[in-house]
Amino acid sequence: METILLPHLGQYPLQVGLFLDVQNARYLRQQLLDGNTEFEYAFLDAAVLLSREHVLAACFRAINDILQGRMKSKNVHSEIVFSLSPNNNISECFRRFGVGETTKNIVAIKVDNNASQIQEHLQNHVQGQIVPFTDETLASLRDEARVRKAYKVDSSSNEEAEAFIIGSMALKGS
Amino acid sequence: MPIAIGLEGSANKLGVGIILHPSSSTPSSPHDSAHSEDEAFTSKPTSPPVQILANLRHTFVSPPGTGFLPKDTAAHHRRWVVRLTKQALKQARIQLEDVDCICYTKGPGMGAPLGAVAIAARTLSQLWDKPLIGVNHCVGHIEMGRAITGAENPVVLYVSGGNTQVIAYSAQRYRIFGEALDIAVGNCLDRFARVLNISNDPAPGYNIEQLAKDGKCLLELPYAVKGMDVSFSGILARVEELARRLTTTTSTNPWLDPDTGLDITKSDLCFTLQETVFAMLVEITERAMAHVGAQQVLIVGGVGCNERLQQMMGIMASERGGSVYATDERFCIDNGIMIAHAGLLAHGKGFETKLEESTFTQRFRTDEVLVNWRD
Amino acid sequence: MPRALSITTHNASLGEAPLTPEWHSRTVASETAAHKMSFTAVPTASNSYQLNDSNEVQPLHSLPPPFTTTSSPGQTSSTKLIRQGAEALLYYTHFLSPSLPCALKYRPPKSYRHPILDKRLTRARILAEARVLVRCKREGVSVPAVLGAGWEEGWIAIEWVNGSTVRDAIFGRKTWRQENQASYEGGEKDLVGLMHKIGCAVGKLHQVGVIHGDLTTSNLMLRPTVSGAEGGEEPSATSAATPFDGTITLIDFGLAAQSSQEEDRAVDLYVLERAFGSTHPEVEHLFPEVLKAYGESYKGAKVVLRKLEDVRMRGRKKSMIG
Repeated sequence: METILLPHLGQYPLQVGLFLDVQNARYLRQQLLDGNTEFEYAFLDAAVLLSREHVLAACFRAINDILQGRMKSKNVHSEIVFSLSPNNNISECFRRFGVGETTKNIVAIKVDNNASQIQEHLQNHVQGQIVPFTDETLASLRDEARVRKAYKVDSSSNEEAEAFIIGSMALKGS
Repeated sequence: MPIAIGLEGSANKLGVGIILHPSSSTPSSPHDSAHSEDEAFTSKPTSPPVQILANLRHTFVSPPGTGFLPKDTAAHHRRWVVRLTKQALKQARIQLEDVDCICYTKGPGMGAPLGAVAIAARTLSQLWDKPLIGVNHCVGHIEMGRAITGAENPVVLYVSGGNTQVIAYSAQRYRIFGEALDIAVGNCLDRFARVLNISNDPAPGYNIEQLAKDGKCLLELPYAVKGMDVSFSGILARVEELARRLTTTTSTNPWLDPDTGLDITKSDLCFTLQETVFAMLVEITERAMAHVGAQQVLIVGGVGCNERLQQMMGIMASERGGSVYATDERFCIDNGIMIAHAGLLAHGKGFETKLEESTFTQRFRTDEVLVNWRD
Repeated sequence: MPRALSITTHNASLGEAPLTPEWHSRTVASETAAHKMSFTAVPTASNSYQLNDSNEVQPLHSLPPPFTTTSSPGQTSSTKLIRQGAEALLYYTHFLSPSLPCALKYRPPKSYRHPILDKRLTRARILAEARVLVRCKREGVSVPAVLGAGWEEGWIAIEWVNGSTVRDAIFGRKTWRQENQASYEGGEKDLVGLMHKIGCAVGKLHQVGVIHGDLTTSNLMLRPTVSGAEGGEEPSATSAATPFDGTITLIDFGLAAQSSQEEDRAVDLYVLERAFGSTHPEVEHLFPEVLKAYGESYKGAKVVLRKLEDVRMRGRKKSMIG
């Protein structure tokens, strides 16, 4: 796993792990739905993630919105998922970007500074293989059609589209 | 020691002024003027003081709810010009021989009133055999402002019933950096006053200012700054709508401030309008300052008398480490002395308006004048 | 008695001495939610001070939350002020990652404006700029990407564009020509190429329904073209590099608007024309090449060029009544 510090929000470190071939997506999802306090994570479906930058943009927006008193969802982790969406429809957002029953590849994020504890917890509970969180790996996991549908773009594989998507995330709610 | 008479009548104010420019060899001495409020004004140490020998004005005030029409205004000027000129000469205690030239407002302004004053000037010129100097009204404001306040090279905000310009001097021209694209800010204020039947005495803008002091609620008006320019017709349309709404408000059909629950009043509308249009003016002035690297702002023109505008400009200027200069109503509001002053400056460089050329014009852009008395 | 003598309400003339600069506290009113976990309130817009030579405290510049530079762990990137305009402050900093440089544009509150009006304006302007940039990006106009925006706090984070401005490139051409005297025989071909690129870029912008509002050679950047998916390949040995290589990228959309009016487009071109005239008089004669390329760049462009003639004649000749 990786500890990522966002410039200007360094006091809110992100613990990030990319898990491949996850077998127990249903279980993880249920923990979130139950509000299990040991599972305060953002679980993102890697199939709709474009890049590290894309994910970090969502994290920045989420943390900053909370700091400025604009939280729209329950907590910072749900807010991260929500920030990926170009619109304000929360349930649709979780369906598109969050973990579903059959999700195979998951990016798990926790805003916390206890890296080792979190790594241990996730490795114990996520039945999948942890791999480095890189742009190359994400590109190989991407489902183009789902990205196109979620963001209403013609193609997602070029720089312009990604820039447009990140821009839309920045403008969401305006 | 050159002395000039200046006649101004481009709008509803008729002004007659007499000014003396001391030649550099004679020491300056305060002159006893019959007009008790006038003094010898000393500008910055580098330039010799000008002496105001007389500065008289009579305003044509139209009834509330109306504006002044060209025909009636011209008639007013014709009625008062002889009287004011005689009085000015008496106060100045000068002889005809002392007068060097007759200065008058060539433009810009309203046609008929300008014409009435031009005729008076031509008459004096022929009667007394003195040269005529046609003066640009805006340049008059600027030069008087500089002389009174001592501002060396400021960005000038010229705001009146007929003009709204941001001006900076460069290479013998007063260059226009930004302006109102449709109507002048003073015109916007005057027309708003009409809809609310606010008195025109002494001036509609003055009464709006007093009412605004009791205003608290800031309603929403369109804010139209386009680059260095501003536009007021959209704001006027909207504020007129609000004013009409106010006139139909009754106890059974109230209009309340959503935050305080209090009734929206005339004062609130005045407050809203001032805060909005003045913010626009300060913004374009700031842009010009940043563009040319100026530290000083000089506000001239009738709307420049407004203390709230002066205050806002002062806050902006001080945050940039600069300063704002303004004059009081003797000089902000259209007057004859500024025409005499600017005319005498030009005359000192050999300028003269031949009788055949002593026309007047409604359109006369500030940057058309060759400011050859400055380098 | 002449009416004028009876007006005595106002004080004597202002402003013999400059007004003492007052320090206005620029705290931005923000509601900070104390979250149950670990979110404490981030300090509101902080002001950096410096002492000048006479040991007086002078306001330097300010930053909005969350960019206030109280040190946070792992904070390696420093935020540098690049430019202080009338309206906005431009900073160089990093965003999302220490390797992603960004231009942070901040519109600080203006004390002279009514606070409600001020907030309304700042919000509207940040949003307008962000929306225009995102729209341009979507339509394939070469502009920097929007990385983030805080419209209530008055900031927008934009991708940092590498390369030089067209202004600097033109200024630098003289030196370049001296150094490359022997190898370059193109005459003014390189400049003509540049003009064509500019005309096309502005054409594309207008075609998409956007007006820049402030077209000058400082707002046109030459971004080195990246050949291949990642990183540059070696420039071909046979192609001569000129100071005008790269893609024209438009920047600084602070005055931009969405409009398809011919008049607005013509004024946009006129501003650029005058900018060339005042900043680069020695290449001004090539400006028609910009218009030529513009005219061919989209349907309807030629009508705009005709409109430009009207705009030129008008200049700033608008009617004025005294």
